[in-house]
Formats: sequence, structure tokens, C-alpha cells
Amino acid sequence: MSTSKIILIGLAAFLLIILFWGCNGYNGLIQTDQGVQKLWSNVETNYQRRTDLYSSVIKTIEGSANFEKSTLKEVLEARSKATQIKVDINDPASMEAYQKAQAGLQGSFSRLMAVVENYPDLKTTSAFRDFQTQIEGTENRINVARQDYNKAIESYNLRVKRFPNVILARLFGYAEKPYYKADEGTEKAPNIEFNIK
Amino acid sequence: MRFIKSIGCILLCWMFIQSGSAQDIPARPSPPMLVNDFTQTLTQDQAASLENKLVAFDDSTSTQIAVVLVPSLNGADISDFALKLGRSWGVGGKDYNNGVVLLISIADRKINISTGYGVEGALPDITAKHIIEEVIKPNFKGQDYYRGIDEGTNAIIQAVKGEYNTPRSKERGKSGAQLIMVIIIVIIILSLGSRGGGGTMMGGRSRRGFGPVFFPMGGGFGGSGGSSSGGFGGFGGGSFGGGGASGGW
Repeated sequence: MSTSKIILIGLAAFLLIILFWGCNGYNGLIQTDQGVQKLWSNVETNYQRRTDLYSSVIKTIEGSANFEKSTLKEVLEARSKATQIKVDINDPASMEAYQKAQAGLQGSFSRLMAVVENYPDLKTTSAFRDFQTQIEGTENRINVARQDYNKAIESYNLRVKRFPNVILARLFGYAEKPYYKADEGTEKAPNIEFNIK
Repeated sequence: MRFIKSIGCILLCWMFIQSGSAQDIPARPSPPMLVNDFTQTLTQDQAASLENKLVAFDDSTSTQIAVVLVPSLNGADISDFALKLGRSWGVGGKDYNNGVVLLISIADRKINISTGYGVEGALPDITAKHIIEEVIKPNFKGQDYYRGIDEGTNAIIQAVKGEYNTPRSKERGKSGAQLIMVIIIVIIILSLGSRGGGGTMMGGRSRRGFGPVFFPMGGGFGGSGGSSSGGFGGFGGGSFGGGGASGGW
């Protein structure tokens, strides 16, 4: 066997390995990226669910006469602000805006609930108790969805940044994605109590 | 030197993971059991009768209801604790995620019902809350823990009944076949690897390539162990998403 033949075979084998590695790495990138997208949609779904629940509570309150309107208005404003935001998970700025808006909505809703305390007829209804349970469950789901999302981001970012995958990631435009930071003071699910005794 | 370092690193990581999970939640019982009383609150007969009921329900519908009594949560949030327990034990089937965890912490006087992804529709948070408040709590207040758990699990069964009706044996057979497949594949890879002696690159690639094949099987392995005894067949690897409700007594 001549030397040139050996070199040729070696080169072909090398190219084959590179090709194989490239395919594997690229597929891995796509898979992790899809996983991240899926988990993000889970986060959004649960926020949407919470917003819907808030809306139901607001409707119940609006129905009762002589309710103080200023706190209610604040929640409505926060809600429209939160629902207007379009998030791109590749863009840290929009992510932060989304988080801020959701935290703002939650804050104003908590204040509304504090006001509801002064309306015993309203807070003791069974509908309100059911809302409390549902909101609690949704807050838990949001927490879990966020944790799962961050875990996926961690492995995605590692994949994108590590050598030699970083070459592929750069080549195909897969960049690092931002984590979903816990809002200050809300790492744990907030306690929305109607104090029903 | 580098080799020793990396081994040390892996060992450290492993120990860290081990200690982390041991501190938070009890390890998956072996042999697998659906009723796990870590507090000696229930008598052996009571635990056995609950176990029989839940195993029968699992056998006929594949829905797994795990009852866990712990002495204390050590400051953890009960819903968080139940979620982690349900996920790490893999309560419920892998395909349907139809597991339910009924967690009771004696010292904290807290109750939680956590629902797997697949049960959230049949057992919504409101129903779970209702079961805790109306069925379990009154019994617990009267110190009748067995009756509370018995009636509580009955209520859960009532709610979940009819949602999934996959007989257990089918799933078990499938996971057995998959296990054999994996073993065959591993043998082939090993024999290829030793014959070819392909350098480090080859080894590295195959490890990465086949890793994901193993992971989804994690839940299935636990199941095949205890199946011969006629009792509980093992947890199926179901997952949880934070659904359920909590209460205290």
C-alpha cells in the first residue's frame, strides 16, 4: 500500500468522524433548544392561567356594589401591562420586562386581596375559597415550571458554551439564553390568604 | 494525576448529590411500597390493608397513589417536598404521569395531595383541597389517622377512577423487553469497543451518543425488581408539575 493511499484513507476517516460528530452535535443542539422552548411555553401557560384566575376574581369583585374602585383599577392596569408583553427568550431585556410586569401584577393583586379583607360578605363565599385554592396551586405550578426551565437553560448554556460544541453553536447561531431570575422575595410561592375562619 | 483528580471530582459530585437528596426527602423504598409510614403512626395491619387497596388500584388502572407519613419536613414547604418526593420516586406511569402523592407531616400537622401531570384533570386542586378539608382533616383532628388516610385515599380513588384503565402487566412486559434490548446493545458496543480499540475519541462519542437511551429507562428499572412477589410492582417514573393542594389540622 502506498503512503498516499494511507493518507487518503486517513483523511476520509477523519472527515467521516467530523461529519458524524457534527451531525450528532447539531442534533443535540436542536433537541436541547426544543426542550427549552417547551419548558418556556409551560412557564407562560401557567402565568396565563394565573392571569385568568385573577380576572375571575376581579369579575366577582366588580359584581359586588360599593367596592372601592382605586385598587381594582390598579390591578386592571397591571394586568393589561402584563398581557401586552411579547417575550423572546433569546432576548434578556424582554425577559426582564415580562418578569417585572408579572411581579407587578401579582403585587397589585395582593394589595387588592388586602382590601377584600374589609368585605366579609365577599371573602367568605365558597367561590372565593375555591379561587384561593386554585391560585395557590397555580403559584406552585409557576414555581415548578420556572425551576424546570432554569434547569433546561443550564444544560443548554453548557452545551452551547463548551468546547467543541461551541464551534457548532456559533456556526448555526445558537447563543446563550438568559435564566428566569426569581423575583425578589418571591422565590417561594407567595401566600395569598383570605383569612377565612 | 489528572485522572485521579477527575475521579475525585466525580466522587465529590456524587456524594453531594446523595447527601442533598437524603437530607430533603426519604429515599425510594426498597422493596417498593405504596404506603410508607416513617413515623410508626399506623399499625402494621393498617398499613398492610392500605397497601393492598392501593396495589389493587394500581394493578387495575395503573394509577399509583403513594401514601407517605414523615415525622417532620425540616422547615421545607410541604408542596415542594411532595413534588420532589413524587418526582424522585417516580410515582405514576411514565407515559401517563398518573401518580398521586398523599404526604402527611406529623410534627408540622400538615397534609398535602400532589397530583401528577396526568391526574390534574381528574383530581383538580379544588377536589384535592376538598378531600383534605372535608375527609382527612376531621379524622386527623380526632387522632384517627388510619381512618383519615383510608377515607382520603378512597376519595382520591373515586376521583381518579375511570381516567386511566391500563392494566399494569402490559406496561411491565414492555419495560422488560426494553431492558433486554438495552443489555444486548450494551454488549454489542462493549465487544466492538474492545475489538476495535478505537482511541479516546471513539469512546467519548459513544458514551455521549447512548447516554440519553439510558436515562428514560431509570424509572422502569425499579419496577422490574419486585414484580415477582405479587405485591406492588414498583414506581413507574411519573412526573409532577406542582398540582394539588395543602392543608393543616
